[in-house]
Amino acid sequence: MKLKRIVQFIASAITLGNYPAIWQGGIYQGPLKQGCVPILNCWGCPLSLFSCPIGALQHFFNLHLIPSYIAGFFGAIGTVVGRMACGWLCPFGLFQDLIYKLKTFKMRMPKFFSYIKYGVLIVIAGIIAWISGEPWFCKLCPAGYIEAGIPLVLADKTGDIKALVGWLFWIKMAILIIIINFSIFIKRFFCRAFCPIGAIYSIFNKFSMFQMKIDKEKCINCDSCQAVCPMHVPIQNSPHNIDCIRCLDCVKKCPTKAISYGAK
Amino acid sequence: MAQNKKNLIASIISIFIVGGGQIYSGRIITGIWFMIVFYGSILVTKVLWIQLTFGFWFVLAAWILFYLFNILDAYRGVNYFAPPCEKNCPAEVKPWYYINLVVSNKISYPFIPFFKILGMICPAPCETNCTRKGIDEPVAIRTLKHGVKTEPPVVAEKKRKERVAIIGGGPCGLTAAYELCKLGYQVVVYEKEKFLGGVLSAYIPEFRLPRSIVEQEIEQIKRAGFEIKTNVEIGKDINLAELITDYNAIFIASGAGKSAGLGIEGEEQVLSGLDILERIKNGEQIRLGKVAVIGGGNTAFDVARSLLRYGNEVAIYYRRGIEDMPAEDENKTEADEEGIKVYPYTTPVKIAGKKLVMVKTQAPQGRKGKVEIVSGSEFEIEVDKIVAAIGQVPYTDFLNDYIKIDEQCRIVTKDGRTSNPKIFAGGDAALGPQTLAHAVGDGIRIAKKIDRFLKGSLFNFKFTIYPVEPQYWQMVNTPRLKVFHRNAQERIKDFKPVEEIPSAEDLKNEAKRCLVCPLRYKP
Repeated sequence: MKLKRIVQFIASAITLGNYPAIWQGGIYQGPLKQGCVPILNCWGCPLSLFSCPIGALQHFFNLHLIPSYIAGFFGAIGTVVGRMACGWLCPFGLFQDLIYKLKTFKMRMPKFFSYIKYGVLIVIAGIIAWISGEPWFCKLCPAGYIEAGIPLVLADKTGDIKALVGWLFWIKMAILIIIINFSIFIKRFFCRAFCPIGAIYSIFNKFSMFQMKIDKEKCINCDSCQAVCPMHVPIQNSPHNIDCIRCLDCVKKCPTKAISYGAK
Repeated sequence: MAQNKKNLIASIISIFIVGGGQIYSGRIITGIWFMIVFYGSILVTKVLWIQLTFGFWFVLAAWILFYLFNILDAYRGVNYFAPPCEKNCPAEVKPWYYINLVVSNKISYPFIPFFKILGMICPAPCETNCTRKGIDEPVAIRTLKHGVKTEPPVVAEKKRKERVAIIGGGPCGLTAAYELCKLGYQVVVYEKEKFLGGVLSAYIPEFRLPRSIVEQEIEQIKRAGFEIKTNVEIGKDINLAELITDYNAIFIASGAGKSAGLGIEGEEQVLSGLDILERIKNGEQIRLGKVAVIGGGNTAFDVARSLLRYGNEVAIYYRRGIEDMPAEDENKTEADEEGIKVYPYTTPVKIAGKKLVMVKTQAPQGRKGKVEIVSGSEFEIEVDKIVAAIGQVPYTDFLNDYIKIDEQCRIVTKDGRTSNPKIFAGGDAALGPQTLAHAVGDGIRIAKKIDRFLKGSLFNFKFTIYPVEPQYWQMVNTPRLKVFHRNAQERIKDFKPVEEIPSAEDLKNEAKRCLVCPLRYKP
C-alpha cells in the first residue's frame, strides 16, 4: 500500500477517534473540541474529536466577528505546505479516492467546475452566513450529512431529533446522492468543485514554502502525472495549479523523475 | 459482437435491479456499492418518513440520476483514458490495446483498412510520444502491427437505400468506402487511373512498400462490397453535377497529385519527382547520369533512392536544415546508409543548360520561418538532369464551379464539410500532402460525419467497448527490437524490400516492453 494511503487511514482514525460513542452514543464534548482539524470534518459526528474549521469560520461570521483565529490557522498551514492536508489527512477525500477506485466507466470534469468552490466559500459560507446568522454551508454539507446527520437521526431513541426531519434533511440527502454518484465517475468531484476549505488553501498554493517543481528538460509530455493525479491536475504545465493537493503520487510515478517536491 | 450482447444484457438487468448488471459482468464490488447507495438511501427514507415535504422531490431527482447512471455504466463497462500513443495517432488506432493483444495472442482487433501498410510506412508519432522513451527507448509500436491478427472485414447484413459516391480510390477514399459499406450504404468509388490505391500503388517505391502487399490489402477492403469504377475521370467522362443529382452524398478524396513547380528560370528542363516514381513503378529503367534532386520530403528521398538503384549519381538539395526535412527519419537514415549526399541550406536560382546555379540560404529552426537567401553566395554545379520534388498540390480544377477552393488549390473544409452541404472532402485534397495515417484517419472520421448527415441524427451514443479485458504485466528490461535491414551495399542493386519483418517470437518479446499506461498509471 502507498505511504499516502496509510497516512490517510491513520489520520482518519485519529480525527474520527471518539470510539466510545459507538456503544455509548452522544457527541464528544471534551477539551479537544476547541481545536480544529485542518480539513473538512463535521464536529457533530459522534466519532469526531475535533472541530471543523469551516464550521468555526461560519460561527464567527454568524456573530459578526472577523475570524482571526481561523484565518491565522489556515494561513499558517497554507503558507508552509499549501493544499497538502487535503491529500494526506482528509477523511472525506479518502472516501472519494476509494469510491473512484470502483471499476466503472470514468468521466472528466469540465474545467469551469473548479471555480464553483470560490462561490461556495464567498456566498454560502461567507455572505449568507453573515446575514442569516446561521451556518448555511454546514446545513448543506454532504460530509456533515453522512457523518452526523444520518447516524444521529438513526441512533436517536427518544424521537426528539427524528421529529426535526424536514425538507432540509431531504435536500441534503439529494446532495449527498448526487455527490456520491459523480465521485464514482469523476476523480474527487466534491474536493475539486465545491469544497470551501480547498478553496482557501488553493490561494496559498502559489506562495507556499514547499512547491512542486518540474524539470522541463526531463519531461517527455507523457501525461502519466495527470493520469495518476487524484485531482486530475495537468502538473507538467502548471506546477502551482490551484487544485494540486501535494499528494506526491506524480513524483513517484513519473517515468523520467522530472517532478520533485521541495522548499522554494 | 458477443461483448456487445453481454453489455446489453447487463444493462437490461440493471434496469430491474440497480447494480445487478455490474455484478453480472463481473464487477462485484461496484455492483454492491451501487446497491448500498440506492437501496440504502431508500431504506433510510422509509425509516425516517414522516410526511411529504418539497425536499423529497430533490431526493427523487437524485435517485433518478443515480438510476440512469447505473444503467449507462452497466452498458458501457470499464473505459480507459487515452495514453500518449493513442492520443497522437492520426489514424485513430489504439496502439496500447493491439500491443496487449499481441501478448495475449487473441484475434479481436477490429479490421482497419491499410493496417499492415501503416506498419511499414507510417512516421509513427506514437513512438515519438511513447512513455517508455523516458526509461530507455520507445516501444517499436509501428513494427508490432505485423504481429496483430485483425478480424476479417465486416460485411453489412442490412443494406440501406442511400447511395454515396466517392471520388478517388486512394487510401482516404477506400477507407471511407469501407467504413460506409460497413454501415450498409451503397457506395461507388470513382477512380481516374486503371488501378486502386492511389499514392500507395503509383508512387511509393517497391523497396519501401511492395505492390503485392498493397494489392492484398485492397483485396481485403473490397470484400466489404462496394462498386468500383476505374478509368473514370470526373469532369471529363462524367460531370460532377450528374453525381450530385444521382447520389445522396459525395465524398471527395482526390489526393494531391500535381507536382509543384520551382518557379525559376529554365524550369522547362526540370523533371517532376512524381513522374519519375510512376515510371519506375511501372518497370521503366531510368538512366540519367548525374542528378540533382531538389526537396526534402519523402518524395525527394524516394526519387533519390530509386534513381540510385539504377546506377545514377544522386545528391539532394534542400533549403532548410536536415532536421527540418518533412521526410521520415527512417527514410533519411536509410538514404544516408546507401550513400546519398544531402546538402542542406541550398536552393536553386537559375538553370542554364547543364549548369545549375545554386545559392546558400538561412532559415530558422522548424518548418515555419521564412527562408532568406545569403547574397553573393552563388555557386555553380554541373548536372545532367534536375528533379524537383518540392511538394504536391491537389488537382481540384474540376471542382471550381461547385465548391470553395483556396489559393493553394486545397478544398476549404470545416469538420470535413465543404461549402456544398452534400459534398464532403478529406485526405490530401483538403489537408495538403500528409501521411497515410492522416488519410486513413480522415476517411474514418468523415465516414462517420456522412453517416450522421444521412441519418439526420444529432446525437450519437456509441461507446468504445473493449472486446477483451487488457492484461497487465511486470516491466521488462529488454532492449528495443532491432529490425533487420539489408546491407546497404547489397540493397542498392535491386528493388527488394529493405526491412525484414521480424519473427512472431521477437514481436511478442517486444510487445512485452509496453508499459500498458492506462493500467499502470491509474490512481
